[in-house]
This record gives sequence, C-alpha cells and structure tokens, in this order.
Amino acid sequence: MMNLGRKTVAVIVCAVVLIVGTMAYVFLRKDTPVLRLATTTSTYDSGLLDYILPEFENLFECEVDVIAVGSGQAMEMGKRGDVDILLVHSPSAELAFMDGGYGESRTSVMYNNYVLVGPASDPAGIDASANATDAFQRIHNNGTAGLVQFVSRGDNSGTHNKELSIWKSLDLNVSYFDDNWYLSAGQGMGAVLDMCEELDAYTLSDDATYYQRASENLVPNLAITYNLEKTDATLRNQYSVIPVNSTMWPHVDHTLASAFKDWIVSEGGQDLIASYERFGQQLFYPNAPGYVPSTASLGALPDSLVDSARSVPKGLAAIALTTSPGIRCARW
Amino acid sequence: MTASMELHGVAKRYKEVAAVRDVSLAVRKGEILGILGPSGAGKSTLLRIVGLLEPPDSGTVKLDDRAVDARSVEAPMLRRKMGIVLQKPVVLNRSVRNNLAYALRIRGWDEASIYMRVDEELKRLGLGDRSNKNARVLSGGEMQRLCFARSTIHDPDVLLLDEFAANLDPANVSLLEQMIRQFASRGSSKSIVLVTHNLFQAKRMCDRVALMWDGEIIEIAAKHKFFEDPGDERTAAFVRGELVY
Amino acid sequence: MVGTTGLDLIEVTLLSLYVSGMATILGSAIGIPLGALIGLKEFGGKGAVKTVTYTLYGFPPVLSGLFVYYLFSRAGPFGSLGVLFTPTAMIIAETFLVIPLVTGITITSVVEVDKNIKDTVRAMGASSRQSTLTIMREAWVGLVMACMIGFGRVIAEVGAAYLVGGNIDGKTKVLTTAIMLETRMGHFEWAMALGAVLLFVALAVFFFLRLLQEKELL
Repeated sequence: MMNLGRKTVAVIVCAVVLIVGTMAYVFLRKDTPVLRLATTTSTYDSGLLDYILPEFENLFECEVDVIAVGSGQAMEMGKRGDVDILLVHSPSAELAFMDGGYGESRTSVMYNNYVLVGPASDPAGIDASANATDAFQRIHNNGTAGLVQFVSRGDNSGTHNKELSIWKSLDLNVSYFDDNWYLSAGQGMGAVLDMCEELDAYTLSDDATYYQRASENLVPNLAITYNLEKTDATLRNQYSVIPVNSTMWPHVDHTLASAFKDWIVSEGGQDLIASYERFGQQLFYPNAPGYVPSTASLGALPDSLVDSARSVPKGLAAIALTTSPGIRCARW
Repeated sequence: MTASMELHGVAKRYKEVAAVRDVSLAVRKGEILGILGPSGAGKSTLLRIVGLLEPPDSGTVKLDDRAVDARSVEAPMLRRKMGIVLQKPVVLNRSVRNNLAYALRIRGWDEASIYMRVDEELKRLGLGDRSNKNARVLSGGEMQRLCFARSTIHDPDVLLLDEFAANLDPANVSLLEQMIRQFASRGSSKSIVLVTHNLFQAKRMCDRVALMWDGEIIEIAAKHKFFEDPGDERTAAFVRGELVY
Repeated sequence: MVGTTGLDLIEVTLLSLYVSGMATILGSAIGIPLGALIGLKEFGGKGAVKTVTYTLYGFPPVLSGLFVYYLFSRAGPFGSLGVLFTPTAMIIAETFLVIPLVTGITITSVVEVDKNIKDTVRAMGASSRQSTLTIMREAWVGLVMACMIGFGRVIAEVGAAYLVGGNIDGKTKVLTTAIMLETRMGHFEWAMALGAVLLFVALAVFFFLRLLQEKELL
C-alpha cells in the first residue's frame, strides 16, 4: 500500500532520529567519568553543592551527578549499589548502613543548625529558653494549655527524627499529643514553614530553609525564636560522607569516590564549605576530623587548641589522629 | 445449464432462532436469481452463507462443484472473486477514488493499473468530479453506486446483492437496476443473486425467483411460472400481495 | 543559584519532550497492536482482560517507577546495563504508564468501528490481517487520541521520572521534576512559569497530533 509505505517511512524516520538521539546521549556521556552522589535535599536546595562541586569537577576532570532525595532513599540507593557515594545526615541510619557493610568508610564533613521558628511575637516565650529541651518543654506547656500550636514534619525525615529525639529526652510521647496543638504535616520543610506562617505556629526547621523563605519575604510573621546564635550543640545536624562499598558493587567508581571523600574533608574542601554564604549567613560549618578553620590560623596551633577548634567529640579526634595523617576517615 | 454455486441441506441458527433450515439451492451460470420473502425469513443469512461470510451449522456450500468452507484460509481468496453488495452502503473514511482503489488493492491488483481502472470506472459512474472528495459526504444514491462499483470493478462471475434498493429513492433504484442489467450483459457466465422483499423488483429483474418462508425455500421457479402459476398456496398469497410483512 | 535558569530551560524542555515522546511512541507501538488484538479477536476471558486494562489506567506512576527502579538497580536483574538515572530508565518507566491507556482506548476505538464496515471489508475478500489494518485505519481518530492521552499522562508525570531519573541537573531533569524542585524551594512563581512552559509544549504537541488526526498526514 502506497499510503502505508509513506506512513511506515515516517514512523521509521522518527524512530531512527530518537534512537540516534539516545545513542548520541549514551556516547557523549561516556567521555568524562561520572561520580554519582546521593544526598539529601538540604545540601542541594541550599545551593551548597552547586557552589563547591565545580571545583572538584575541574580538579578531577569528572562530572558529579547529584541525586537529591530523602535520607532514607539515598541510603537505599547506596545499599543497592546505584550510587558511588553518599552525603547524608542520619546518624543512626548511617551506623546501620556501616554495620551492614554497605559503606567503605564514614567521615564527618560538616554540620548545619536547626532553629526553632515561631511567631515573631513568641507567645510561648521560647526566646528565654536555657537550651533546646527547655524550649520544647515550653512549647509543650503552652500547647497543652491551648496557647500555641506546633507543626511537625511528620515525614520521618532527619529533621523529624531530631524533633522526636528531643521530645523523647523530655520523656514525652508524641503519639499522646493532642492534635489541637500538635499537627503532623507529612510535608517538606518549606511547606511546613508556609503552614506555620498561616497558623502562627512553631516548628523545628533547618536554618537554611528558614533563611531562604525569609529572604524571599514568604514568611513575614515568623522569626527564629531559639538558637539564633547557633550555639546549641543539640540542634546540630551532622553530615557524613560514605563511599559505597566497591567490593560489594564492583562497578562503583572506587577511585573517584575515594577522591571525592578525600577532597571534601581536605583543607581545601572544608575551607570551600566554610566560605559558602547565602542569605547573608554561613550555612554549613565544616568539621571533618583534623580540620582547623583557616580563620584560626593554619595548623601551627598546639594540639590542645586544635582539639577545641574541632566540633567533634574528643574520642573521635583521637581516632583520627592515630590513623595515618593522609587518611582522614573514622569508622564509627 | 451448469450451476456456479450450490447449497445442500444448509441450516444456520442464531442462538435459539433458526434463521435458515435445510435449504438446498443451485445458482445457475448466466441467471439472475431473485430471493423473495418477508422480513425475517432468513434471506440475508442465506446470502451471507452463499457469499462465504458465514459458515452454515450443517450442510455444504459448493462453488464450481467443490465444497468450500467460509472459515478456511482460502475463503478470502474465494470472496475476492465474487462481488457482494450489502444492504447498508458503507464507505471507508477516505476519498471516493481510494475507496474504489481499495477494492482492487485488496484483491491483489497491480498498484500501477489500479488507478487507471478506478478513474475509468468513476467516469462511467458519473462520479469523476467527486473522486477526491471523502466518500462519507456522498449522497445515499451515490454511495450505493460506489458500493456497487466496489463489488463489480474486478468483473466477478458471481454478484450477490442484499436489498440494495432499501433506503433509495426511485430514480436511484432504477439507475442501479440498469447497472445490474449492464453487468449481467457483460458475459454469459455471470450469476447474480438478488435478495429483495419487493415483488415488482423481482418481476423486473429476475430470471428465476425463490420464495423464502421461515428459513425454508418453499418454492423456486422461473419468473413466469412463479408469478403466474405458483405451486404453493403461500406463494400465491404472497404474489397477490395478501401477505402483510 | 540553584534551580532552573533560562538556559537550562531549553535543555529541560527538550529532555521532557524526548522522554515523553519516546515513551508515547514505544507505548503506542505496543499498546495499539495489543488493543487491536484484544478488540478484534474473540477469545475466552476477553471481558476480564478488558477490565484489567481499564483498571491499569489508574496505575500509580510511582509504583511504575519503583518497579523499573528494582529492575535496573545494580542489585536488580538488569543492573549491569547501567540504565538507572538516565533518560532511558525514565522512558521505560513512562512507557509502562502509556501502554494501558493506549491499549484501552485502542480497544474502544476499534470496537466502535461500524460493524458494517468490518463486514464489507471481509466481503471484498480482505484477509484477517488486511481487515485489521483497515479497521485500524478507520479508527484513526481514536488511535491518535490514544497517543495524545498517553503523551498527556507522561509529560505531566513526576513520581516515576523523579525516582528512576533522579532529577540530575543537565541529565535527567525534566519539566515536572524541575517544577517539583522549585516548589520545594518555595519558588512558586518560577514553578508556575515552568508549568506554563509544560502546558505550552503539550499544546504544541497536541496541535501537531490534531493535524495528524484531521489531515491523516501520517
């Protein structure tokens, strides 16, 4: 059939164009080695990775494919060998990951801070809290009295888990909280902040998401009611880098993953993280074992001072120092 | 006279209803055979069996002395050699020209000769000026003419027509009747079966007439005998127009 | 600056088109013959097959994504292909979403072709292959509609695209995952602008398909 013939030709042409497109895509991307980095949305959305990765890519003539998902999903990708390296913040899950033998090493990289965000008028008086636990106690007291509301992420994220751990330290069980004041949103941080803006409610937020919302004037009624100075160690959010076990998954790019780990915990990588500012703030505080912030002068300090400059437990610092100086990794 | 097609003891049921029961019939070469009968007598079913569109439940269909099966792989080939005009004229959603070309293409004609033959036929049909129009915009009469051409363009020896005049105005009926006569006169071996419920049409067109009644052929005779000296009471009543259907 | 800049937009849009287009072509290449087969052939359990097909209209995209993820994960049966987090994986996941839609609409379209046409075509002596092709040609409008609806589903789909693509900048970021990213970051206006681009792209494709539908160009 003549018409059918023309049709067939058209379809074949389309198919060929698309297949050639795929092939071209496949071959083009083979040119440079690729490191697949699974990380949480916070590092990606804050712009940190866009800021620091180009330097690594130039240094090692490679590309870094960033897959920004929830911590749990990132960890699962690592377990299944679908990515080369993880940059995550979920200490207990990370430990389980290491115990399962899925990671080659686990090294702390940096932390950022959680803040308690609430109505600028601060009806619960959080401002005067002595510490995070005290602040949560005040929210609980005011909440049960019907004076304030609290929005929980309720999505099993790192932030949610942090919130739960603080309630737990107060011997409070959230499942008994009255849903008149304790709202479990099951949403991302940004959406929860938007809810708080509407409801005049409190929430626990990472500082970057709050600053981003605040800088775009999306949450004019809200303010940081606690941990504005970022001095509360309880409200730190520790990130670790974990190269995926390349013995278990031979295709994992061991060389590049190791290079990335070494680079991000090196002085250069750490300084780069420290220099990232957004919304007029430093958002991430590097604290790899052995790293001394360059503002505190360069490595010529006595050991005792170096220790105090590190934001890591002394025990860990000791481990890091007893291993060979070239390998800055600690297996927790 | 030799028979071009024969039915032997053919029967067909649709669920509980016996549409055709035990019909034997021979269609001779060179004749126009009319099949008359009231609605629901089984005329259309009988035509579909003859046209190899449906297999009978029992009995045999013979084409040129050979038993054939509507379900067999050769059935489409055998149908290609016939021409069948169904009661409701339907056209494909494409141009008049391509509708006609389709009929030849299906029948395996050489692509180069198809359009020459088609254009010639369209001119003859008086549809030459509409050949590039979508066939769906044709009037009922034009559509039925196109359907007729579709079934005769390959010059078949057997032409089966099922109530072709239904839904047509008298002018178009007479036009089509003329086309049928023309077709019949193309050669001495053309067999035509004409299913109709119209006495007068049968009288005008046919050489022999059969009356179908409740799934059976109760009388089959030459036209003059059928109309003037029917052998069956029911035929006589039918011919007198006393049977309301 | 994180997010989608103007220049990225072209790349993201093209990738959206590529992924949705391929998924629609592949899904239709499977769904249309399958639908024609189910619609035109008589076989036992036909009603059940139809019901299952229509039920799969509601197949959750994320589930399709998860399924494809498991297949192409390094730990899965096809892990060695290294397809995960590439447009190819997205195309495969989206194809699974297109197939039931196209199959179902094809079934409906070919069944609705006038029974008299089917009869007439047979009467002319068409083989079953020829008559199937003719009926599909008669059902043309419905078949193009099937492709349109299939395309509409995948161009707007985000769950599977995010899961198996990973929303990698410059590689697997498509319009929908970009919209999700921008929304997550609170850039609602930008997200809506991207949404407008998506609708515009869909409009252009639909316009093209409408032409095919009416003029029978293809």
